[in-house]
Amino acid sequence: MIECKNITKIFNQNRPDEQSALKDISLSFAKGEFIVLKGASGSGKSTLLALIAALSKPTLGEVIVDGKRISKMPDNFTALFRRENIGFIFQKYNLIPTLSTYDNIIVPMIPSNPDEKELDKQVDKLLEMFFITDKKNAIIKNLSGGEQQRVAIARALINNPSIIIADEPTANLDAKLSLDFIDIIKKLKSENRTIIIATHDPLFFDLPFVDRVIELKNGEIVCF
Amino acid sequence: MNHFLIGFSISSLLRRGSKSFFTIFIFTILIFLLSSILFISNSIKEELFITLKSLPQITVQKLQAGRHKNIEISKVDELLKLNGVQSAIPRVWGYYYFERAGVNFSVVGIDSFDKQYKKSFQQIVKDTDFDELSKNNTMVVGVGVKRVLEENYYKDFFNFVKPNGELKKIKIASTFKGSTSLESNDIILMPKDLVLEIFGMSKDEVTDIVLEVANPKEIQTISKKIKNLFPDTRVINNSDLRVSYQNIFDYKSGMFLALFIVSAFTFFMIVYDKASGLSSEEKREIGILKALGWKIDDILKSKFFEAFIVSFISFLSGIILSLFFVYTLQAPILRDIFIGYSRLKPDFDLPFILDFQTLSLLFFLTIPLYIAAIIIPSWRVASMNADEVMR
Repeated sequence: MIECKNITKIFNQNRPDEQSALKDISLSFAKGEFIVLKGASGSGKSTLLALIAALSKPTLGEVIVDGKRISKMPDNFTALFRRENIGFIFQKYNLIPTLSTYDNIIVPMIPSNPDEKELDKQVDKLLEMFFITDKKNAIIKNLSGGEQQRVAIARALINNPSIIIADEPTANLDAKLSLDFIDIIKKLKSENRTIIIATHDPLFFDLPFVDRVIELKNGEIVCF
Repeated sequence: MNHFLIGFSISSLLRRGSKSFFTIFIFTILIFLLSSILFISNSIKEELFITLKSLPQITVQKLQAGRHKNIEISKVDELLKLNGVQSAIPRVWGYYYFERAGVNFSVVGIDSFDKQYKKSFQQIVKDTDFDELSKNNTMVVGVGVKRVLEENYYKDFFNFVKPNGELKKIKIASTFKGSTSLESNDIILMPKDLVLEIFGMSKDEVTDIVLEVANPKEIQTISKKIKNLFPDTRVINNSDLRVSYQNIFDYKSGMFLALFIVSAFTFFMIVYDKASGLSSEEKREIGILKALGWKIDDILKSKFFEAFIVSFISFLSGIILSLFFVYTLQAPILRDIFIGYSRLKPDFDLPFILDFQTLSLLFFLTIPLYIAAIIIPSWRVASMNADEVMR
């Protein structure tokens, strides 16, 4: 269960370029729900995702995940929270371009010092799932956009997260790859994971397995 | 130990191949410079220390018109009568300028029945039959002298030119290596009568007389007594000599300090430059790691391994290069700055001195600083919100 209570996020507060990204938003997401956040660029979708993933803290209000007030937690605890609970798929993938596919996928697991054999098995399973087994040792910068996105998804799943957050996941994909992505999401939804996707791609709005579409405009919820 | 984290740090260094190589290269050169300066200084200090230890307690020289003159050998008996004087050894020695090579040799006369004022000479006297040397007109030369003579076609003898212009051919019986390179470098030992003949000195004269006293605390008192007894002499005690040697070394170590400061300053500038910020690529990577669940200390550990690997490789390379440069190549250029470029004395080898203190000083002066220079800016970035860093 994710709860956002009266969240306000102001960037560059008390400066001439102060910008209010979210204005007193309250929302909640149930476990296993698939939510699509829609809205134009600058509507506050990415900011909301960052707050839910504890990548930043709200100026006002709080974010509570499974009873934990993550927006009030110190930095090291939020890092641990992300490592154990969140799989984040970034719009620009945020892969390390000079590392191999394998090395990128295991990055979230490195601080936990996992068992190497177990980790290898897990990586092989994900590579198979996303049809990139042959790219295991390829350097990321040599992969196509679609392959990079699949690596980013595999990385988001390596820690077996209960919450999957994706920011404009199809922004850089063609129609075929976008449909492939939807198939992956469907599969993840069937595993009872909470999925929150921020997008303005209309492809997502009418998907039969979407539980809710929430529209944001100028930092405010305009439509549930 | 998290070998994934170490592996990630190593791969980070390899990914930034040219940058890492350049950092290691610059760092190695700086450590090489700093360590070379320290190694040369240590070697010279060691030479000085051994030289100071072998200095005679009191040296009595005759002065005329303020200049050093030969002293009568008869004064030895009078000096021995002074209370506290244990021994008085007349010395016959002088400098012989070898024009072709442009170097000065120190020619020292030895009588096998005399007590030797230097331990190294005692050993040579023990190993050599000086009566035979006298009969056969032969000498014992330091390894440096032998080298200079061989370079100038004198394989097994040397022709000394006497003050009257006549040549005196002296054969080389053997060579010796003294307790310091400075000592064995320019010294020629031969029977006293041969030295007297080469320098044209009278048989009842010696160059100076060195005294040994029973109680070192009485050196000053005995020096005063000698001065009163023989007003035409100069009495030099070992502390006077130590001061003059020390002055020369202090002058050299001033230059050492200047060079050391310049090298250290360059090092600190590079460290400061590094500490003042990370590249946008490095910042973004830290942001990604944070977003993927790395804690600040995970990031700092990874950065620590990176910095340690770079600085330790540089440290080892710098030290090994410096050891090779100083002790195998004999520190070309730098050596001339410290020892002074002079052809008056034959070249000598810097003795190998490697102490733990010097290595520790270099280690603690460089590695922790470099690690701090990497860790501090990384910590600053890692402390920010991941979202903010990746923006």
